[in-house]
Parts: sequence; C-alpha cells; structure tokens
Amino acid sequence: MIEIIETGPFNTVQDLGRPGYRKIGVTASGAMDPFGLKIGNVLVGNAPGAAAIEVQTFPFRLRFTGPVVFTVTGADCGAKLDEHPLLPWCTHAADAGQALELGRPRTGARAYLCFAGGLDVEPVMGSRSTSLRGAFGGNGGRFLTATDRLALCAETSGHRPRAGISVVDPAFALADHLPTSDDGSLIIRALPAGEHDLFGNDAERFWTQIWQISSKSDRTGYRLSGEPVKPTTPVEMRSHGVVPGVIQVPPSGEPIVQMSDANTAGGYPKIAGVIDADLWRLGQARIGSRVRFVRATHREALDVEKAMTLFLDDVRVTCGMVTRALNTMA
Amino acid sequence: MSQVDFTDPATIAELMAALEAAGVDGLQLERPDQGLRIILARGRPAVIRRPEGLAVAGASRTTVKAPIAGVFLTHDPSRPTTLHRSDDVEQGDIIGFLRIGPILVPLTAPASARIMRRVAEHGAIVGFGDPLFEIELQS
Repeated sequence: MIEIIETGPFNTVQDLGRPGYRKIGVTASGAMDPFGLKIGNVLVGNAPGAAAIEVQTFPFRLRFTGPVVFTVTGADCGAKLDEHPLLPWCTHAADAGQALELGRPRTGARAYLCFAGGLDVEPVMGSRSTSLRGAFGGNGGRFLTATDRLALCAETSGHRPRAGISVVDPAFALADHLPTSDDGSLIIRALPAGEHDLFGNDAERFWTQIWQISSKSDRTGYRLSGEPVKPTTPVEMRSHGVVPGVIQVPPSGEPIVQMSDANTAGGYPKIAGVIDADLWRLGQARIGSRVRFVRATHREALDVEKAMTLFLDDVRVTCGMVTRALNTMA
Repeated sequence: MSQVDFTDPATIAELMAALEAAGVDGLQLERPDQGLRIILARGRPAVIRRPEGLAVAGASRTTVKAPIAGVFLTHDPSRPTTLHRSDDVEQGDIIGFLRIGPILVPLTAPASARIMRRVAEHGAIVGFGDPLFEIELQS
C-alpha cells in the first residue's frame, strides 16, 4: 500500500490504455511515455502493461506503508528515498514508513513510478488507466490528491524482484534509431496525412520550421506555436476518427498533435501523423521546448518499432536472468 | 577473462585439496596483481601466508567482489554523472556497475570506506566473485 503525501494536479494512474473503444467515443488514455512505463514494469518483474503512477507535476511525495520494490523511469527528477538520492531507472527496496520524493525533472517531462505487482485499481474496459475526461478508470476517474491510498497487486513474476537492477538509458541504447539535431530541438518523425497536399507551399514549411510546444498543451494534445500553416483554400470536413499522433491544423494555422487522451473524432484537416515509435519521445517533451518534424516512411517507422521491441525483450529476458542469478548467489 | 581471487582462503583451501588429491607437493602461480605459492607439508597443519605486496585482509580491509559475471564499468555510459570520482565513499554509494546486455547491476560501498585499489579496469569482463575494489573500512 502507498499513500500520497503531496502532489500537484494531473498526476494519474496509467497503464497502456484502453484501445478498441474509440468507436463508442472512449478515449484510449494510457501513459504518455509507454516505453518508459513498459521498461519500468519489466524491471520490477511486472507485465509491461501494469498500472503505474504518471507524475507530470512536481514535487510529488508518497509514503510506503509496507515493504515494496519500485523503480522510477521516464523523466529524471532527482528521486529521493528518505532524503537519500536514488539512481533513476533502477529498482529500489523501500521499507514501511519510508517516503519517496520526486523533484522537478532535470530531463524529460513525465516520470513513471512502477511498483512490484502494479497498482491494484479496478480495471474498466480492460484498463486501469485514468480517463480524466470520462471521469472513470484509475483512481476513481480523477487525478491523485494528498491522502489518497493505493493498493498493490500481488507480485506475479516467477522470481522475486530485487533491488539494485538498472538499465541503460533507452535513448542511449537506441541511439542508432533516434534522430538528433544540432540546435537542440527534438526531431520527431511523421508521415504525411490525408490533407497534407491541400496545404500547398505551407506543407513544406510545416516540415522545415521549428515549432514550440505551447503552454496550452496537455495529455489530450500538444498545441504548437510558430508561423501558421494554412490550406490553399479553406477546407470543410466532416468529423472523422482521430488517434494519438495525428497532427491537425485548426483555422488558426497552428498545429495540434493529438496525444494519449486524444479526441476520438475531429474535423480539422490532418497534415501529418507522428509515427507510433516516436510518440513516447514527444510525451517526454516539455512545454516551451522546440520540435521539428521530419518525413519518415512506413518502412522506417516499422524498423524503429522493431528495434524498440527487441530492446524491451532483451531487458525483460536479461533482467529475469540477472534477478534469478543474484537471488541464487546471494 | 574472469580471474580467480587467490587471496580468498576458500580458494586456497580448494587448491590445496586438489593438490593433495592429485599427489602434487606444491604450486606457484604468478599474475601481475597477485601471486600464490602453496607447498604441501603433509601431516602438518596448513599455514596460509600471504605473499608480500598483496593487500592484507585485516580487520579494516575488505574486497568488493563481483556479485555476478558481467562487464565492469566505473560508471553508467548512458549517464556520465554516475561516475564516483572520490576514493572516499559512504555506505550505499555507487562505485561502479556490472553490465549484462542492457542491464546494469550497481555496485555499492558496503560501508564508509576508502578505496585503496581499483582492481578491474573499465570495460573488463569479470566473473562471479572476482575482486573489483580493495577498500579500507573507516571506523
């Protein structure tokens, strides 16, 4: 059991979301950085999609009411256990009464607190993710507040998770598959979408200019600031299905990237779609930071996805092996 | 290649048992960091004397050994700030890592101590039980 001591707003219980219900208007939700969530879960011996706490406003503090093995992945926010600095992306053992504190992130935007067993909240439509808009799922459909208490499921892995198992930074391990820029802006790969060509010359400017993630950005979508891009003639469209990653252009000309709490339908023209394999990187981008989109191919998108899957498999298999070996030799 | 710690009494005892079983009278091993000479004096109690120049595992000296086979790293290459530069360490300080594929096993100081010798090089493959650090515990 854990008890929240201090939290900002919008910190929620998330897993990998509830896809499959968009047709009845249910947002998928789920972690903004699903890769960080999966790796964190695997480190503590959980299934990759176990429920965790997504922390996006800081400081955040909780108390353990019993012994728990946990890890903090995603944003590096100088986590401390009873004032003792913790290695990020590493499993730690907490005792009853110990307090975990996360400060402002040094890198990234969202931290994932994964606990051995995973958070035990009632699944709704197959997922423990919080749907803030629908006010269901997760912790009673709302974000966490001080004094909230969350239970943990029994550990399911064959081997007891162990403290002191870390993983190399996935961005480091996958460096060959991740684009970088010279000017510090985040390079995100995308595919041209249905209405791309209606933007004429502005379409090219969408790709070349550096956009800034505006303060009007949240888990639903990132609004981008920059020189507006507009269709050559006004486009009137019927509402159609929308998924995370879709980049719409409202009449203002400043694009919106749909994120984890994406609307299920929308009527704005779509200029591009962020490849799935880059959504986690965008999910870690901070408000005010700069981003540029580069054109990718389907082949490229699938290759990155494959590399990420292989890395996660490698982490899962090796982590299990190392845990068993350390448990045997201890 | 993994290296055996010849200062470990258990290792020496094992070697002695093997020599006795094989009917061999003595054994001398030399390595840049360690040397070992065993002469079997049958029928007399064993005297284990450490060759000169080796760390003496006195009450305050101890060795941090590899808890698992892997690649020894002084720091996490993906997080350069994990390098512990000082020789003086507090209990729980991370003084290195063992890398097994994508997994890193942090090596922590067992107590407040001073690192007297760093046995393994950054990037060296080490075996289970190999000595990595010689440390002197601070009282």
